[in-house]
Amino acid sequence: MTFLQPLMLAALPLVSLPIIIHLINQRRFQTVQWAAMMFLLSARAMSRGYSRLRNWLIMAMRMLAVAAVIFAIGRPLSRGWLALAGGARPDTAIVVLDRSPSMQQRSAAAADTKLDTGRRQLVESLATLGASRCVLVTDPAVKPLELASPAALADLPAAGPAAVPADLPLLLQAAYDYVKENAAGATEVWICSDQRSNDWAPENGAWGGIRDAFTKLPQQVRFQLLSFREPAEGNMAVRVTDTKLEKRGDIRALVVTVAATRQEDGERVVLPVTFEIGGVSSTVQLELTGREAVLKNHVIPLDRAAGSRGWGKVSIPADANIADNEFYFVFDEPVARKTVVVAEDPAARRWLALLAEIPPEKDQRSAAEAVAPEAFVTTALDETALVLWQGQFPAGRDAEALTAFLARGGQVVFFPPDVPTETTFAGLTWRSWANHPQPVKPVSWRTDQDLLSNTLAGGALPVGEVQVFRSCAFAGDHVPLASLPEAAPLLARVADTAGGVYVCTTTPNGRDSALASEGVVLYAIVQRAIDRGVAVLGKSRQVDAGPAAEVLTAKGIEWSRLAGPADVLSTEIGRHAGVFAADDRLVAVNRPAEEDAGRIAADDRIDGLFRDLSYTRLTGTAGSTDSLVQEIWRAFLIAMVLALIVEGLLCLPKSAGAERSPFEGLRPVEAAA
Amino acid sequence: MITDRQPRSFLEPAVLSRLAGVPLLARKAMVGNVSGRHTSPHRGSSVEFAEYRKYVPGDDLRRLDWRAFGRSDRFYVKEYEADTNLRLCLVLDTSGSMNFSAEGRLSKIDYARRICAGLGYLASQQGDAVGISCVADGIVKTLPPRRSPAHLRLVFDILEEAKPAGPTRLPEVLHELAETIRQRALVVIVSDLFVEPAVLASSFGHLRFRHHDVAVFHLLDPLEIGFKFQRPTRFLDMEGGGSIFADPVDIADRYHQAVNRYLEAMKKVALESGIDYGRVLTDESYEQVLARFLVGRAAGSGLR
Repeated sequence: MTFLQPLMLAALPLVSLPIIIHLINQRRFQTVQWAAMMFLLSARAMSRGYSRLRNWLIMAMRMLAVAAVIFAIGRPLSRGWLALAGGARPDTAIVVLDRSPSMQQRSAAAADTKLDTGRRQLVESLATLGASRCVLVTDPAVKPLELASPAALADLPAAGPAAVPADLPLLLQAAYDYVKENAAGATEVWICSDQRSNDWAPENGAWGGIRDAFTKLPQQVRFQLLSFREPAEGNMAVRVTDTKLEKRGDIRALVVTVAATRQEDGERVVLPVTFEIGGVSSTVQLELTGREAVLKNHVIPLDRAAGSRGWGKVSIPADANIADNEFYFVFDEPVARKTVVVAEDPAARRWLALLAEIPPEKDQRSAAEAVAPEAFVTTALDETALVLWQGQFPAGRDAEALTAFLARGGQVVFFPPDVPTETTFAGLTWRSWANHPQPVKPVSWRTDQDLLSNTLAGGALPVGEVQVFRSCAFAGDHVPLASLPEAAPLLARVADTAGGVYVCTTTPNGRDSALASEGVVLYAIVQRAIDRGVAVLGKSRQVDAGPAAEVLTAKGIEWSRLAGPADVLSTEIGRHAGVFAADDRLVAVNRPAEEDAGRIAADDRIDGLFRDLSYTRLTGTAGSTDSLVQEIWRAFLIAMVLALIVEGLLCLPKSAGAERSPFEGLRPVEAAA
Repeated sequence: MITDRQPRSFLEPAVLSRLAGVPLLARKAMVGNVSGRHTSPHRGSSVEFAEYRKYVPGDDLRRLDWRAFGRSDRFYVKEYEADTNLRLCLVLDTSGSMNFSAEGRLSKIDYARRICAGLGYLASQQGDAVGISCVADGIVKTLPPRRSPAHLRLVFDILEEAKPAGPTRLPEVLHELAETIRQRALVVIVSDLFVEPAVLASSFGHLRFRHHDVAVFHLLDPLEIGFKFQRPTRFLDMEGGGSIFADPVDIADRYHQAVNRYLEAMKKVALESGIDYGRVLTDESYEQVLARFLVGRAAGSGLR
């Protein structure tokens, strides 16, 4: 319980007033000469029983009444009856708002989404708390926004729904920076979120740093998590996983693969999936029995007059969360899958070029240019999707060219040189080779994402079958995608770089590994890396909302919105789903795939992130009309009145009959005789 | 006619003259030495026929019933009831507790003085013998019953001089009196009876066994019954015991219970012992109390 006037609680010792009055009264005794001592003596010998209990009750009721008055004057606030964290009016209230698509879930009973409910409850709470400053943090890339009044939160576009997942560690870091820079006083951080794992990333190493930083702040910082963790019942999400333009005779057709997912197993449903391309819509029934159903290679014939480039939308009927019922996609003629292979070792060069040249689909064009490291500087990378690099890390102009290539979204896979040197690129350095007397095989690899993820059919790549005879260690920050025994990585993704930088610690050369002879894994690696590179090459791009969509905010290009919510501010572009066009380029922005997974972080995991900090978790419900914080002095006044009534009843003298009884029969009685 | 040089504070002529109209009667046969208003166990010379008895030589021939002789040819003597005087023994409790008074009322001892004086006067007026015993933890003063009006003055002197002090040993004192009062007498006890009723029962039984007619005026102050105190109070024992500190609010319930229990027990003892028991609150007019007493006795008199 919190009080708006906590100083009033200093009067709490007044609760002992009834006791003091009682003691004073005891000292004000009179002395009388008394004849009927025998009655007094026998009265004292009797059990006090109820009389004693009554006296105690009367005293307790009087103390309760005084306490209730003092509490009522202290203006108590209720923050849910379970949250009894103490504290006074904060100086600064920071609102960290999770406005990811999952926050747009509605409950079955009410029309308000989790985000709407959270915002409304926050407005009410902050207005009641009366913080002198109110700050909104929704996006790590945007400076925290100072609000004129908490009410502004209700209709501020920056607090509205978005397609971007909330990166809670970064948001809290931004909140910390704000507190630090502005030397705010007592601060209350209100986090409104639905506890999605992908938003909170509880395993993220940054949490420890954030916790330490907040602990070391001189001012008091309290965290209030307003958690809307109720699952979305029967919510389904739709997503386009692949689009291809095909020519069938003289008719062009769009081949779309659509996946519909839901978060828990349920009854078999037939889902009408509506495609809308160029104003023409068509509906396909998709049967969903488990958690996921895929409409593979659905063919939509295109209008003859239409150009080869276009966009469309796939949608399913509205359900608990409307934010994941639509998905935008763009399509275009496939671009050439061009790969540059740079390798010291001719054998490796040959193998890599061969794997890069074989297109995964018959109507795709693939090309590979194999060059020696010395000749790399002369190679044009403009239309290249992937660079496969076996040898020393590039330096000088090679490094510059490669960095530029990465910056525009290119992909690079590094393979170790024969003789490692100290050359560094993107924080990476080759160390020494390790020979394995017995061939080793990868013991673990990431099957859920990235280059080694499971196939669309759900099967795992035969990564565990690849024999490695020797591997070369490297230094640098990385995320292992496949690991050899003793935690040595076989394939790793380098963190925090634009584009994609991968490191493979062995080469396809037969003396190093069986990557080439067991070609499936290496082929999948190369082709998937090409896919990633191609995705940014074409004139049409499919991007996730958030940082990946910053192409939309690049200077000098005027983007126009073709589809998506109309009331989006230009500064918010890239954070909402939609289709945007500029010149001959098309970009479809959608929510990231993790948003559809719907995994919710457990309460104790979340609580663990705030250990050692003053933290309270309040559970909210979408559409709930309750206030989080409300003044409850009335309850205390009622308690006082009740206490006084009970006290009065206890103090009432016995009934008149009982009072008269001692005089009964005081008239002379007839003698028996 | 009794004349006092100094008016006695406990004598009110107007009250006494009003009460004089009702005789003070014993409920049991009395054995007096002169003729009086009270029934006697013996045959005497009153006008009230009692029974026939066979003539034995020596009987006064004047009392032979000649008509009966004429009818039955046997000698019968006609006997009449004897009327005699009574001996009134006033027993006044002068223990410390009798000094209690509250809220400007008469103290119990003053009230008792008035009752004793009234009864003594009335008895003396109808020619009965009056005596008095002041008792506390023993017999403090005693004056045996005499018939002379001058003796009444001595009784009034004792009443006037009686000073309440010391503890009560009423049961023992009553046993002693039961033994010492000669012949049958009307024993009137005026006391607050602050002793266990069960103990008193045996004393009353003893008095009854000695053929005394026992009447009890049980004096109580209304405050002793109502126990209406507001503030915590230290109660000092008037009979020299210790003191008790109590919060009346806290203890009143149990006090009332104890009083009720005591009064019930006392009533029961009175009924079982066959004594004339009357409770008197000191806020009542003593004239009414006496009138009620006298009328009550008149109704139940005449038993032999």
